[in-house]
Amino acid sequence: MSISLKHLTKHYGSTNAVEDVSAEIVHGSLTAVLGPSGSGKSTLLKLISGLERPDQGSVVIDGEDVTDVDPRHRDIGFCFQHYAPFRHMNVTKNVGFGLKVRKRSPKEIDARVKELLALVKLEHKAKHYPAQLSGGERQRMALARALAIEPRVLLLDEPFGALDAVVRAELRHWVKELHQQIHVTTVLVTHDQQEAMEVADQLIVMRSGRVVQSGDPLALYERPATDFVHEFLGPSTTFAGEVARPHDLELVSVYQGTMKGRITSIVSLGFEAQVTVELSDGTSTWVQLSRNELASMGLRVALLVGVRRRDDVEF
Amino acid sequence: MGRRHWPLRGVVLLYLGVLVGLPVVFLVLKALGHGFPAFWSEITKPDALSALKLSIEVAAIAVPINTVVGVGAALLVARHNFFGKRVLDTIFDVPVAISPVIIGVALVLAYSRIGWFGAPLTRWGIMVLFSPLGVVLATMTVSLPYVLRSIVPVLLELGVDQEQAARTLGAGRVRIFWYVTLPAIRWAVLYGVTLTLARTLGEFGAVLVVSGNITGVTQTLPIYIFDSWDQRFDVLGSYSGALVLAMMSMAVLAVLALLRRRERRLRVDLA
Ligand SMILES: Nc1ncnc2c1ncn2[C@@H]1O[C@H](COP(=O)(O)OP(=O)(O)OP(=O)(O)O)[C@@H](O)[C@H]1O
Ligand SMILES: [Mg+2]
Repeated sequence: MSISLKHLTKHYGSTNAVEDVSAEIVHGSLTAVLGPSGSGKSTLLKLISGLERPDQGSVVIDGEDVTDVDPRHRDIGFCFQHYAPFRHMNVTKNVGFGLKVRKRSPKEIDARVKELLALVKLEHKAKHYPAQLSGGERQRMALARALAIEPRVLLLDEPFGALDAVVRAELRHWVKELHQQIHVTTVLVTHDQQEAMEVADQLIVMRSGRVVQSGDPLALYERPATDFVHEFLGPSTTFAGEVARPHDLELVSVYQGTMKGRITSIVSLGFEAQVTVELSDGTSTWVQLSRNELASMGLRVALLVGVRRRDDVEF
Repeated sequence: MGRRHWPLRGVVLLYLGVLVGLPVVFLVLKALGHGFPAFWSEITKPDALSALKLSIEVAAIAVPINTVVGVGAALLVARHNFFGKRVLDTIFDVPVAISPVIIGVALVLAYSRIGWFGAPLTRWGIMVLFSPLGVVLATMTVSLPYVLRSIVPVLLELGVDQEQAARTLGAGRVRIFWYVTLPAIRWAVLYGVTLTLARTLGEFGAVLVVSGNITGVTQTLPIYIFDSWDQRFDVLGSYSGALVLAMMSMAVLAVLALLRRRERRLRVDLA
Protein backbone atom coordinates (compact mmCIF):
# COMPACT_ATOMS: atom_id res chain seq x y z
CA MET A 1 0.00 0.00 0.00
CA SER A 2 1.45 3.35 -0.91
CA ILE A 3 1.44 6.19 1.56
CA SER A 4 1.46 9.81 0.65
CA LEU A 5 2.07 12.54 3.17
CA LYS A 6 0.89 15.99 2.22
CA HIS A 7 2.18 19.08 4.01
CA LEU A 8 2.02 17.46 7.44
CA THR A 9 2.56 19.87 10.32
CA LYS A 10 2.49 19.20 14.05
CA HIS A 11 3.42 21.66 16.77
CA TYR A 12 3.66 20.96 20.49
CA GLY A 13 3.35 24.38 22.08
CA SER A 14 6.27 26.30 20.64
CA THR A 15 8.07 23.16 19.39
CA ASN A 16 7.68 22.55 15.66
CA ALA A 17 7.96 18.78 15.89
CA VAL A 18 6.96 18.23 12.24
CA GLU A 19 6.91 21.11 9.78
CA ASP A 20 5.35 20.89 6.30
CA VAL A 21 6.46 17.33 5.55
CA SER A 22 5.49 15.86 2.19
CA ALA A 23 6.64 12.45 1.01
CA GLU A 24 5.61 9.56 -1.21
CA ILE A 25 6.21 6.09 0.15
CA VAL A 26 6.07 3.45 -2.54
CA HIS A 27 3.97 0.30 -2.19
CA GLY A 28 6.01 -2.57 -0.78
CA SER A 29 9.05 -0.46 -0.08
CA LEU A 30 11.15 -0.33 3.06
CA THR A 31 11.66 3.33 3.80
CA ALA A 32 13.99 4.61 6.50
CA VAL A 33 13.36 7.93 8.20
CA LEU A 34 16.73 9.18 9.34
CA GLY A 35 17.58 12.16 11.48
CA PRO A 36 19.18 13.31 14.70
CA SER A 37 17.44 13.08 18.07
CA GLY A 38 14.46 15.42 18.31
CA SER A 39 14.15 15.88 14.55
CA GLY A 40 10.51 14.70 14.58
CA LYS A 41 10.87 11.08 13.42
CA SER A 42 8.64 9.54 16.10
CA THR A 43 6.11 12.32 15.70
CA LEU A 44 5.96 11.62 11.96
CA LEU A 45 5.18 7.94 12.62
CA LYS A 46 2.50 8.95 15.13
CA LEU A 47 0.93 11.17 12.50
CA ILE A 48 0.92 8.33 9.95
CA SER A 49 -0.62 5.92 12.48
CA GLY A 50 -3.17 8.47 13.69
CA LEU A 51 -1.99 8.43 17.31
CA GLU A 52 -1.43 12.15 16.84
CA ARG A 53 -3.58 14.45 14.73
CA PRO A 54 -1.75 16.81 12.39
CA ASP A 55 -2.34 20.55 12.84
CA GLN A 56 -2.30 20.75 9.07
CA GLY A 57 -1.91 18.45 6.09
CA SER A 58 -3.16 14.97 5.34
CA VAL A 59 -2.21 11.32 5.27
CA VAL A 60 -3.34 9.28 2.27
CA ILE A 61 -2.99 5.49 2.32
CA ASP A 62 -3.62 3.75 -0.96
CA GLY A 63 -5.60 6.66 -2.31
CA GLU A 64 -7.82 6.92 0.76
CA ASP A 65 -7.52 10.05 2.90
CA VAL A 66 -7.23 8.65 6.45
CA THR A 67 -6.45 11.92 8.25
CA ASP A 68 -9.72 11.71 10.18
CA VAL A 69 -9.77 7.94 10.63
CA ASP A 70 -9.19 6.66 14.18
CA PRO A 71 -5.93 4.68 14.55
CA ARG A 72 -7.90 1.58 15.49
CA HIS A 73 -9.42 1.49 12.03
CA ARG A 74 -6.28 2.28 10.02
CA ASP A 75 -4.85 -1.27 9.95
CA ILE A 76 -1.38 -0.06 10.71
CA GLY A 77 1.11 -2.21 12.60
CA PHE A 78 3.12 -0.05 14.98
CA CYS A 79 6.25 -1.14 16.84
CA PHE A 80 7.09 1.36 19.53
CA GLN A 81 10.49 2.76 20.39
CA HIS A 82 10.46 0.81 23.66
CA TYR A 83 8.33 -2.07 22.32
CA ALA A 84 5.39 -1.35 24.67
CA PRO A 85 4.69 -5.01 25.48
CA PHE A 86 1.56 -5.74 27.52
CA ARG A 87 3.43 -6.70 30.66
CA HIS A 88 0.68 -8.68 32.30
CA MET A 89 0.12 -10.90 29.25
CA ASN A 90 2.38 -13.70 28.09
CA VAL A 91 3.88 -13.78 24.61
CA THR A 92 0.96 -15.72 23.13
CA LYS A 93 -1.61 -13.30 24.56
CA ASN A 94 0.41 -10.30 23.43
CA VAL A 95 0.66 -11.51 19.86
CA GLY A 96 -2.99 -12.60 19.77
CA PHE A 97 -4.36 -9.33 21.18
CA GLY A 98 -5.19 -7.70 17.86
CA LEU A 99 -6.98 -10.82 16.63
CA LYS A 100 -8.96 -11.13 19.84
CA VAL A 101 -10.07 -7.52 19.44
CA ARG A 102 -11.16 -8.43 15.92
CA LYS A 103 -13.27 -11.24 17.38
CA ARG A 104 -11.55 -14.07 15.52
CA SER A 105 -12.31 -17.57 16.79
CA PRO A 106 -9.95 -18.96 19.46
CA LYS A 107 -8.92 -21.70 17.05
CA GLU A 108 -7.99 -19.25 14.34
CA ILE A 109 -6.12 -17.04 16.81
CA ASP A 110 -4.21 -20.01 18.11
CA ALA A 111 -3.12 -21.12 14.65
CA ARG A 112 -2.13 -17.64 13.54
CA VAL A 113 -0.15 -16.93 16.72
CA LYS A 114 1.75 -20.20 16.31
CA GLU A 115 2.57 -19.27 12.75
CA LEU A 116 3.80 -15.80 13.75
CA LEU A 117 5.87 -17.10 16.65
CA ALA A 118 7.56 -19.47 14.24
CA LEU A 119 8.21 -16.55 11.89
CA VAL A 120 9.90 -14.51 14.62
CA LYS A 121 11.54 -17.60 16.14
CA LEU A 122 9.87 -17.32 19.54
CA GLU A 123 7.94 -20.63 19.70
CA HIS A 124 9.91 -21.75 22.74
CA LYS A 125 8.95 -18.57 24.66
CA ALA A 126 5.21 -18.72 23.99
CA LYS A 127 4.25 -18.86 27.67
CA HIS A 128 6.87 -16.40 28.93
CA TYR A 129 6.04 -12.90 30.15
CA PRO A 130 7.74 -9.82 28.67
CA ALA A 131 9.81 -9.37 31.86
CA GLN A 132 11.35 -12.79 31.19
CA LEU A 133 12.47 -11.92 27.65
CA SER A 134 15.71 -10.36 26.40
CA GLY A 135 15.60 -7.05 24.55
CA GLY A 136 15.87 -8.71 21.15
CA GLU A 137 13.12 -11.21 22.00
CA ARG A 138 10.83 -8.41 23.19
CA GLN A 139 11.46 -6.62 19.93
CA ARG A 140 10.54 -9.71 17.93
CA MET A 141 7.42 -10.22 20.00
CA ALA A 142 6.37 -6.63 19.33
CA LEU A 143 6.92 -7.23 15.63
CA ALA A 144 4.82 -10.40 15.67
CA ARG A 145 2.08 -8.56 17.56
CA ALA A 146 2.02 -5.81 14.95
CA LEU A 147 2.06 -8.30 12.07
CA ALA A 148 -0.80 -10.35 13.53
CA ILE A 149 -3.44 -7.94 12.28
CA GLU A 150 -2.12 -8.24 8.73
CA PRO A 151 -1.47 -4.51 8.57
CA ARG A 152 -1.52 -2.52 5.38
CA VAL A 153 1.52 -0.64 6.64
CA LEU A 154 4.19 -1.47 9.20
CA LEU A 155 5.76 1.34 11.23
CA LEU A 156 8.90 0.61 13.23
CA ASP A 157 10.19 3.25 15.64
CA GLU A 158 13.91 2.69 16.29
CA PRO A 159 13.40 -1.06 16.23
CA PHE A 160 16.98 -1.78 17.23
CA GLY A 161 17.62 1.26 19.37
CA ALA A 162 18.14 -0.33 22.75
CA LEU A 163 20.06 -3.42 21.66
CA ASP A 164 23.76 -4.22 21.64
CA ALA A 165 25.72 -4.07 18.39
CA VAL A 166 25.69 -7.81 17.64
CA VAL A 167 21.98 -8.38 18.22
CA ARG A 168 21.32 -5.18 16.33
CA ALA A 169 23.14 -6.31 13.21
CA GLU A 170 21.42 -9.71 13.42
CA LEU A 171 17.93 -8.26 13.76
CA ARG A 172 18.57 -5.73 11.03
CA HIS A 173 19.41 -8.52 8.65
CA TRP A 174 16.42 -10.46 9.76
CA VAL A 175 14.00 -7.54 9.30
CA LYS A 176 15.30 -7.06 5.79
CA GLU A 177 14.72 -10.74 5.03
CA LEU A 178 11.31 -10.64 6.63
CA HIS A 179 10.38 -7.68 4.50
CA GLN A 180 11.43 -9.56 1.38
CA GLN A 181 9.20 -12.43 2.49
CA ILE A 182 6.03 -10.53 3.28
CA HIS A 183 6.43 -7.31 1.34
CA VAL A 184 4.37 -5.09 3.57
CA THR A 185 5.04 -1.39 3.05
CA THR A 186 7.36 -0.53 5.95
CA VAL A 187 8.57 2.73 7.42
CA LEU A 188 11.48 2.41 9.82
CA VAL A 189 12.83 5.19 12.02
CA THR A 190 16.48 5.31 12.97
CA HIS A 191 19.20 7.77 13.80
CA ASP A 192 21.90 5.37 12.65
CA GLN A 193 22.92 6.14 9.06
CA GLN A 194 24.65 2.80 8.55
CA GLU A 195 21.50 0.98 9.57
CA ALA A 196 19.42 3.08 7.21
CA MET A 197 21.79 2.58 4.28
CA GLU A 198 21.93 -1.16 4.87
CA VAL A 199 18.23 -1.87 5.25
CA ALA A 200 16.26 0.69 3.30
CA ASP A 201 15.43 1.04 -0.36
CA GLN A 202 14.29 4.61 0.21
CA LEU A 203 15.57 7.26 2.61
CA ILE A 204 13.94 10.30 4.14
CA VAL A 205 16.40 12.54 5.97
CA MET A 206 14.86 14.87 8.56
CA ARG A 207 16.18 17.80 10.50
CA SER A 208 14.26 20.05 12.92
CA GLY A 209 10.92 18.67 11.77
CA ARG A 210 11.55 19.16 8.06
CA VAL A 211 12.51 16.76 5.29
CA VAL A 212 15.93 17.77 4.04
CA GLN A 213 16.23 15.22 1.26
CA SER A 214 14.66 11.94 0.23
CA GLY A 215 15.22 9.23 -2.35
CA ASP A 216 17.45 6.30 -3.18
CA PRO A 217 20.07 5.71 -0.43
CA LEU A 218 23.03 5.50 -2.76
CA ALA A 219 21.96 8.62 -4.66
CA LEU A 220 21.69 10.51 -1.38
CA TYR A 221 25.08 9.26 -0.29
CA GLU A 222 26.73 10.31 -3.51
CA ARG A 223 24.77 13.45 -4.24
CA PRO A 224 23.75 14.93 -0.90
CA ALA A 225 21.71 18.09 -1.36
CA THR A 226 23.15 19.89 1.66
CA ASP A 227 26.19 19.76 3.90
CA PHE A 228 23.93 18.43 6.65
CA VAL A 229 22.92 15.40 4.61
CA HIS A 230 26.52 14.93 3.54
CA GLU A 231 27.77 14.89 7.09
CA PHE A 232 24.87 12.83 8.35
CA LEU A 233 25.09 10.05 5.79
CA GLY A 234 28.71 9.09 6.28
CA PRO A 235 32.20 10.15 7.28
CA SER A 236 33.01 13.60 5.96
CA THR A 237 35.71 16.21 5.99
CA THR A 238 36.33 19.50 4.21
CA PHE A 239 38.67 19.93 1.28
CA ALA A 240 39.28 23.06 -0.79
CA GLY A 241 36.32 24.76 0.89
CA GLU A 242 33.86 21.93 0.16
CA VAL A 243 32.51 18.95 2.07
CA ALA A 244 34.14 15.73 0.90
CA ARG A 245 34.15 12.04 1.76
CA PRO A 246 37.57 11.01 3.18
CA HIS A 247 37.61 7.94 0.93
CA ASP A 248 37.11 10.19 -2.10
CA LEU A 249 40.43 11.90 -1.38
CA GLU A 250 43.92 10.59 -2.04
CA LEU A 251 47.50 11.46 -1.19
CA VAL A 252 49.94 12.07 -4.01
CA SER A 253 53.30 13.80 -4.48
CA VAL A 254 53.46 17.52 -3.68
CA TYR A 255 53.40 18.47 -7.40
CA GLN A 256 50.40 16.32 -8.37
CA GLY A 257 48.07 17.53 -5.60
CA THR A 258 45.29 20.10 -5.94
CA MET A 259 46.61 21.37 -2.61
CA LYS A 260 49.67 20.56 -0.57
CA GLY A 261 50.15 20.12 3.15
CA ARG A 262 51.96 18.39 5.99
CA ILE A 263 50.87 15.13 7.61
CA THR A 264 50.01 15.70 11.29
CA SER A 265 48.82 12.23 12.29
CA ILE A 266 48.38 8.68 10.99
CA VAL A 267 45.86 6.43 12.71
CA SER A 268 45.80 2.83 11.55
CA LEU A 269 42.52 0.96 12.16
CA GLY A 270 43.75 -2.34 10.76
CA PHE A 271 41.92 -2.58 7.46
CA GLU A 272 42.11 1.15 6.84
CA ALA A 273 44.03 4.22 7.95
CA GLN A 274 43.09 7.82 8.66
CA VAL A 275 45.73 10.34 7.67
CA THR A 276 45.26 13.93 8.84
CA VAL A 277 46.89 16.66 6.76
CA GLU A 278 47.29 20.33 7.61
CA LEU A 279 46.86 22.12 4.29
CA SER A 280 48.70 25.20 3.09
CA ASP A 281 45.54 27.32 3.37
CA GLY A 282 45.54 26.68 7.13
CA THR A 283 42.62 24.20 7.12
CA SER A 284 42.91 20.58 8.03
CA THR A 285 41.45 17.53 6.29
CA TRP A 286 41.63 13.79 6.61
CA VAL A 287 42.05 11.10 4.01
CA GLN A 288 40.97 7.50 4.24
CA LEU A 289 43.49 5.02 2.81
CA SER A 290 43.40 1.27 2.49
CA ARG A 291 45.98 -0.75 4.39
CA ASN A 292 47.83 -1.55 1.18
CA GLU A 293 47.97 2.08 0.07
CA LEU A 294 49.40 3.08 3.45
CA ALA A 295 52.01 0.35 3.30
CA SER A 296 53.13 1.14 -0.25
CA MET A 297 53.42 4.90 0.20
CA GLY A 298 55.89 5.05 3.11
CA LEU A 299 54.05 7.88 4.84
CA ARG A 300 55.18 9.43 8.11
CA VAL A 301 54.20 12.40 10.25
CA ALA A 302 55.64 15.79 9.09
CA LEU A 303 56.00 14.61 5.48
CA LEU A 304 54.96 17.12 2.80
CA VAL A 305 52.29 15.67 0.48
CA GLY A 306 49.77 16.67 -2.17
CA VAL A 307 46.01 16.01 -1.72
CA ARG A 308 43.41 15.68 -4.49
CA ARG A 309 40.04 14.16 -5.17
CA ARG A 310 40.23 10.64 -6.55
CA ASP A 311 37.71 11.43 -9.31
CA ASP A 312 39.95 14.28 -10.52
CA VAL A 313 42.21 11.69 -12.12
CA GLU A 314 41.38 10.36 -15.53
CA PHE A 315 42.04 6.74 -16.26
CA MET B 1 20.19 -5.85 60.36
CA GLY B 2 23.38 -5.62 62.37
CA ARG B 3 23.83 -5.87 66.13
CA ARG B 4 24.57 -2.18 66.38
CA HIS B 5 20.98 -1.41 65.51
CA TRP B 6 19.49 -2.95 68.63
CA PRO B 7 19.30 0.27 70.72
CA LEU B 8 17.43 2.00 67.89
CA ARG B 9 15.19 -0.99 67.41
CA GLY B 10 14.51 -1.06 71.12
CA VAL B 11 13.46 2.59 71.19
CA VAL B 12 11.18 2.22 68.18
CA LEU B 13 9.54 -0.90 69.60
CA LEU B 14 9.05 0.75 72.99
CA TYR B 15 7.52 3.77 71.34
CA LEU B 16 5.16 1.64 69.28
CA GLY B 17 4.37 -0.41 72.36
CA VAL B 18 3.35 2.62 74.39
CA LEU B 19 1.47 4.25 71.55
CA VAL B 20 -0.28 1.30 69.97
CA GLY B 21 0.41 -1.93 71.86
CA LEU B 22 -0.65 -0.97 75.37
CA PRO B 23 -3.99 0.58 74.43
CA VAL B 24 -4.85 -2.44 72.31
CA VAL B 25 -3.90 -4.84 75.10
CA PHE B 26 -5.99 -2.87 77.59
CA LEU B 27 -8.84 -2.78 75.13
CA VAL B 28 -8.77 -6.56 74.79
CA LEU B 29 -8.46 -7.06 78.55
CA LYS B 30 -11.29 -4.66 79.33
CA ALA B 31 -13.62 -5.93 76.64
CA LEU B 32 -13.10 -9.57 77.53
CA GLY B 33 -12.50 -8.96 81.26
CA HIS B 34 -15.97 -10.14 82.24
CA GLY B 35 -15.68 -13.22 80.07
CA PHE B 36 -16.58 -13.91 76.51
CA PRO B 37 -20.35 -14.35 77.14
CA ALA B 38 -20.57 -10.82 78.59
CA PHE B 39 -18.68 -9.45 75.55
CA TRP B 40 -20.93 -11.41 73.23
CA SER B 41 -24.15 -10.17 74.84
CA GLU B 42 -22.82 -6.59 74.64
CA ILE B 43 -22.14 -6.72 70.94
CA THR B 44 -25.38 -8.51 70.13
CA LYS B 45 -27.51 -5.83 71.77
CA PRO B 46 -29.91 -4.34 69.18
CA ASP B 47 -28.26 -0.90 69.24
CA ALA B 48 -24.78 -2.34 68.83
CA LEU B 49 -25.90 -4.61 66.00
CA SER B 50 -27.70 -1.81 64.20
CA ALA B 51 -24.57 0.38 64.50
CA LEU B 52 -22.43 -2.43 63.10
CA LYS B 53 -24.95 -2.99 60.32
CA LEU B 54 -25.05 0.70 59.39
CA SER B 55 -21.24 0.90 59.35
CA ILE B 56 -21.07 -2.04 56.96
CA GLU B 57 -23.87 -0.68 54.80
CA VAL B 58 -22.26 2.74 54.57
CA ALA B 59 -18.96 1.13 53.57
CA ALA B 60 -20.76 -1.04 51.02
CA ILE B 61 -22.13 2.08 49.35
CA ALA B 62 -19.31 4.58 49.86
CA VAL B 63 -16.38 2.36 48.89
CA PRO B 64 -17.64 1.21 45.45
CA ILE B 65 -18.81 4.71 44.51
CA ASN B 66 -15.54 6.30 45.58
CA THR B 67 -13.61 3.60 43.76
CA VAL B 68 -15.39 4.27 40.47
CA VAL B 69 -15.14 8.04 40.89
CA GLY B 70 -11.50 7.75 41.97
CA VAL B 71 -10.48 5.60 39.00
CA GLY B 72 -12.34 7.87 36.58
CA ALA B 73 -10.81 11.02 38.03
CA ALA B 74 -7.35 9.44 38.06
CA LEU B 75 -7.65 8.64 34.36
CA LEU B 76 -8.74 12.23 33.69
CA VAL B 77 -5.85 13.68 35.66
CA ALA B 78 -3.18 11.32 34.34
CA ARG B 79 -4.29 10.94 30.74
CA HIS B 80 -6.01 14.14 29.66
CA ASN B 81 -5.31 17.82 29.49
CA PHE B 82 -8.18 20.15 30.12
CA PHE B 83 -8.93 23.53 31.56
CA GLY B 84 -9.24 23.34 35.34
CA LYS B 85 -7.29 20.10 35.74
CA ARG B 86 -5.11 21.49 38.52
CA VAL B 87 -8.17 22.73 40.37
CA LEU B 88 -9.81 19.30 40.13
CA ASP B 89 -6.61 17.67 41.32
CA THR B 90 -6.43 19.99 44.32
CA ILE B 91 -10.09 19.65 45.26
CA PHE B 92 -9.53 15.93 45.76
CA ASP B 93 -7.07 16.74 48.53
CA VAL B 94 -9.39 19.05 50.45
CA PRO B 95 -11.09 16.25 52.44
CA VAL B 96 -7.81 15.04 53.96
CA ALA B 97 -6.36 18.50 54.40
CA ILE B 98 -9.14 19.91 56.56
CA SER B 99 -10.66 18.52 59.73
CA PRO B 100 -13.61 16.12 59.27
CA VAL B 101 -15.63 18.27 61.67
CA ILE B 102 -15.36 21.18 59.26
CA ILE B 103 -16.55 18.91 56.44
CA GLY B 104 -19.49 17.94 58.61
CA VAL B 105 -20.37 21.55 59.31
CA ALA B 106 -20.02 22.44 55.62
CA LEU B 107 -22.38 19.60 54.70
CA VAL B 108 -24.90 20.79 57.28
CA LEU B 109 -24.76 24.28 55.78
CA ALA B 110 -25.25 22.95 52.26
CA TYR B 111 -28.01 20.45 53.03
CA SER B 112 -29.99 22.11 55.81
CA ARG B 113 -33.55 23.14 54.99
CA ILE B 114 -32.28 26.57 53.91
CA GLY B 115 -29.01 25.40 52.31
CA TRP B 116 -28.20 25.50 48.59
CA PHE B 117 -28.90 21.84 47.95
CA GLY B 118 -31.01 21.28 51.03
CA ALA B 119 -33.88 23.59 50.05
CA PRO B 120 -34.79 21.95 46.74
CA LEU B 121 -34.16 18.45 48.12
CA THR B 122 -36.45 19.10 51.08
CA ARG B 123 -39.16 20.20 48.66
CA TRP B 124 -38.77 16.82 46.92
CA GLY B 125 -39.06 15.10 50.28
CA ILE B 126 -35.43 14.01 50.46
CA MET B 127 -33.84 14.40 53.88
CA VAL B 128 -30.07 14.38 53.89
CA LEU B 129 -29.25 15.56 57.38
CA PHE B 130 -30.00 13.33 60.35
CA SER B 131 -30.58 10.39 58.03
CA PRO B 132 -28.45 7.45 56.85
CA LEU B 133 -28.14 9.29 53.50
CA GLY B 134 -26.26 12.08 55.28
CA VAL B 135 -23.98 9.55 56.93
CA VAL B 136 -23.14 8.02 53.55
CA LEU B 137 -22.51 11.45 52.05
CA ALA B 138 -20.19 12.54 54.87
CA THR B 139 -18.28 9.28 54.72
CA MET B 140 -17.90 9.49 50.96
CA THR B 141 -16.53 13.00 51.27
CA VAL B 142 -13.84 12.20 53.82
CA SER B 143 -12.70 9.07 51.99
CA LEU B 144 -12.72 10.65 48.53
CA PRO B 145 -9.02 11.03 47.63
CA TYR B 146 -7.49 7.66 48.51
CA VAL B 147 -8.19 5.75 45.30
CA LEU B 148 -7.13 8.67 43.12
CA ARG B 149 -3.94 9.27 45.08
CA SER B 150 -2.91 5.61 44.90
CA ILE B 151 -3.48 5.33 41.15
CA VAL B 152 -2.23 8.57 39.60
CA PRO B 153 1.51 8.03 40.24
CA VAL B 154 1.27 4.49 38.87
CA LEU B 155 -0.57 5.69 35.76
CA LEU B 156 2.01 8.40 35.15
CA GLU B 157 4.88 5.98 35.55
CA LEU B 158 3.18 3.46 33.29
CA GLY B 159 3.02 5.90 30.37
CA VAL B 160 0.70 5.68 27.40
CA ASP B 161 2.73 3.30 25.21
CA GLN B 162 0.74 0.16 26.00
CA GLU B 163 -2.56 1.97 25.57
CA GLN B 164 -1.44 3.39 22.22
CA ALA B 165 -0.23 -0.02 21.10
CA ALA B 166 -3.64 -1.48 21.94
CA ARG B 167 -5.28 1.31 19.97
CA THR B 168 -3.29 0.61 16.83
CA LEU B 169 -4.21 -3.06 17.23
CA GLY B 170 -7.86 -2.07 16.99
CA ALA B 171 -9.02 -1.81 20.61
CA GLY B 172 -11.55 0.84 21.64
CA ARG B 173 -11.53 2.88 24.85
CA VAL B 174 -13.55 0.43 26.91
CA ARG B 175 -11.49 -2.57 25.89
CA ILE B 176 -8.23 -0.70 26.43
CA PHE B 177 -9.37 0.16 29.94
CA TRP B 178 -10.40 -3.40 30.88
CA TYR B 179 -7.64 -5.33 29.14
CA VAL B 180 -4.64 -3.01 29.28
CA THR B 181 -4.94 -0.16 31.80
CA LEU B 182 -6.80 -1.84 34.65
CA PRO B 183 -4.62 -4.96 34.81
CA ALA B 184 -1.56 -2.72 34.93
CA ILE B 185 -2.88 -0.67 37.86
CA ARG B 186 -4.88 -3.34 39.67
CA TRP B 187 -2.69 -3.48 42.77
CA ALA B 188 -2.74 0.27 43.12
CA VAL B 189 -6.55 0.24 42.81
CA LEU B 190 -6.84 -2.44 45.49
CA TYR B 191 -4.49 -0.50 47.71
CA GLY B 192 -6.62 2.61 47.29
CA VAL B 193 -9.80 0.63 47.98
CA THR B 194 -8.33 -0.74 51.19
CA LEU B 195 -7.34 2.72 52.39
CA THR B 196 -10.82 3.99 51.52
CA LEU B 197 -12.41 1.12 53.43
CA ALA B 198 -10.25 1.74 56.50
CA ARG B 199 -11.13 5.42 56.47
CA THR B 200 -14.81 4.69 55.90
CA LEU B 201 -15.08 2.29 58.84
CA GLY B 202 -13.32 4.66 61.20
CA GLU B 203 -14.89 7.98 60.29
CA PHE B 204 -16.24 9.83 63.30
CA GLY B 205 -16.16 13.64 63.16
CA ALA B 206 -18.00 14.42 59.96
CA VAL B 207 -20.56 11.68 60.57
CA LEU B 208 -21.23 12.88 64.12
CA VAL B 209 -22.04 16.39 62.88
CA VAL B 210 -24.40 15.43 60.03
CA SER B 211 -26.02 12.38 61.60
CA GLY B 212 -27.62 13.99 64.62
CA ASN B 213 -26.58 10.83 66.49
CA ILE B 214 -29.94 9.06 66.44
CA THR B 215 -29.48 5.70 68.17
CA GLY B 216 -30.53 2.81 65.96
CA VAL B 217 -30.96 5.03 62.88
CA THR B 218 -27.86 7.11 62.13
CA GLN B 219 -25.42 5.65 64.62
CA THR B 220 -22.35 4.04 63.04
CA LEU B 221 -20.03 1.86 65.08
CA PRO B 222 -17.52 4.60 66.00
CA ILE B 223 -20.37 6.85 67.15
CA TYR B 224 -22.00 4.02 69.08
CA ILE B 225 -18.68 3.47 70.89
CA PHE B 226 -18.37 7.13 71.77
CA ASP B 227 -22.04 7.40 72.75
CA SER B 228 -21.96 4.36 75.04
CA TRP B 229 -18.94 5.66 76.83
CA ASP B 230 -19.67 9.36 76.99
CA GLN B 231 -23.45 9.57 77.25
CA ARG B 232 -24.70 6.28 78.61
CA PHE B 233 -21.74 5.36 80.82
CA ASP B 234 -21.98 1.85 79.38
CA VAL B 235 -18.26 1.15 79.64
CA LEU B 236 -18.38 -2.52 78.74
CA GLY B 237 -20.59 -1.79 75.71
CA SER B 238 -18.12 0.81 74.55
CA TYR B 239 -15.08 -1.46 74.97
CA SER B 240 -16.79 -4.33 73.24
CA GLY B 241 -17.80 -2.19 70.27
CA ALA B 242 -14.28 -0.79 70.11
CA LEU B 243 -12.77 -4.26 70.04
CA VAL B 244 -15.01 -5.26 67.11
CA LEU B 245 -14.09 -2.10 65.19
CA ALA B 246 -10.41 -2.60 66.01
CA MET B 247 -10.52 -6.16 64.70
CA MET B 248 -12.20 -5.04 61.50
CA SER B 249 -9.53 -2.38 60.99
CA MET B 250 -6.79 -4.91 61.74
CA ALA B 251 -8.17 -7.19 59.08
CA VAL B 252 -8.11 -4.30 56.60
CA LEU B 253 -4.54 -3.48 57.65
CA ALA B 254 -3.47 -7.08 57.13
CA VAL B 255 -4.83 -7.01 53.59
CA LEU B 256 -3.01 -3.72 53.07
CA ALA B 257 0.30 -5.20 54.24
CA LEU B 258 -0.12 -8.11 51.85
CA LEU B 259 -0.85 -5.76 48.97
CA ARG B 260 2.20 -3.65 49.79
CA ARG B 261 4.40 -6.69 49.59
CA ARG B 262 2.78 -7.77 46.38
CA GLU B 263 3.18 -4.29 44.91
CA ARG B 264 6.84 -4.09 45.83
CA ARG B 265 7.45 -7.43 44.14
CA LEU B 266 5.62 -6.17 41.10
CA ARG B 267 7.77 -3.06 40.95
CA VAL B 268 10.88 -5.19 40.99
CA ASP B 269 9.42 -7.22 38.12
CA LEU B 270 8.81 -4.15 36.04
CA ALA B 271 12.18 -2.55 36.68
N1 LIG C 1 3.94 14.76 23.42
C1 LIG C 1 4.82 15.77 23.24
N2 LIG C 1 4.66 16.94 23.90
C2 LIG C 1 5.53 17.94 23.72
N3 LIG C 1 6.59 17.91 22.91
C3 LIG C 1 6.81 16.79 22.23
C4 LIG C 1 5.94 15.65 22.36
N4 LIG C 1 6.40 14.66 21.55
C5 LIG C 1 7.50 15.16 20.96
N5 LIG C 1 7.76 16.43 21.35
C6 LIG C 1 8.86 17.29 20.88
O1 LIG C 1 8.85 17.27 19.47
C7 LIG C 1 10.17 17.17 18.96
C8 LIG C 1 10.32 15.96 18.07
O2 LIG C 1 10.17 14.80 18.89
P1 LIG C 1 10.26 13.32 18.32
O3 LIG C 1 9.96 12.40 19.44
O4 LIG C 1 9.41 13.21 17.11
O5 LIG C 1 11.79 13.24 17.92
P2 LIG C 1 12.61 11.99 17.38
O6 LIG C 1 13.18 12.39 16.07
O7 LIG C 1 11.79 10.77 17.42
O8 LIG C 1 13.81 11.90 18.44
P3 LIG C 1 14.54 10.59 19.04
O9 LIG C 1 15.52 10.13 18.01
O10 LIG C 1 15.25 11.14 20.25
O11 LIG C 1 13.50 9.58 19.36
C9 LIG C 1 11.09 17.14 20.17
O12 LIG C 1 11.60 18.44 20.35
C10 LIG C 1 10.20 16.76 21.31
O13 LIG C 1 10.63 17.37 22.49
MG1 LIG D 1 11.83 8.97 18.57
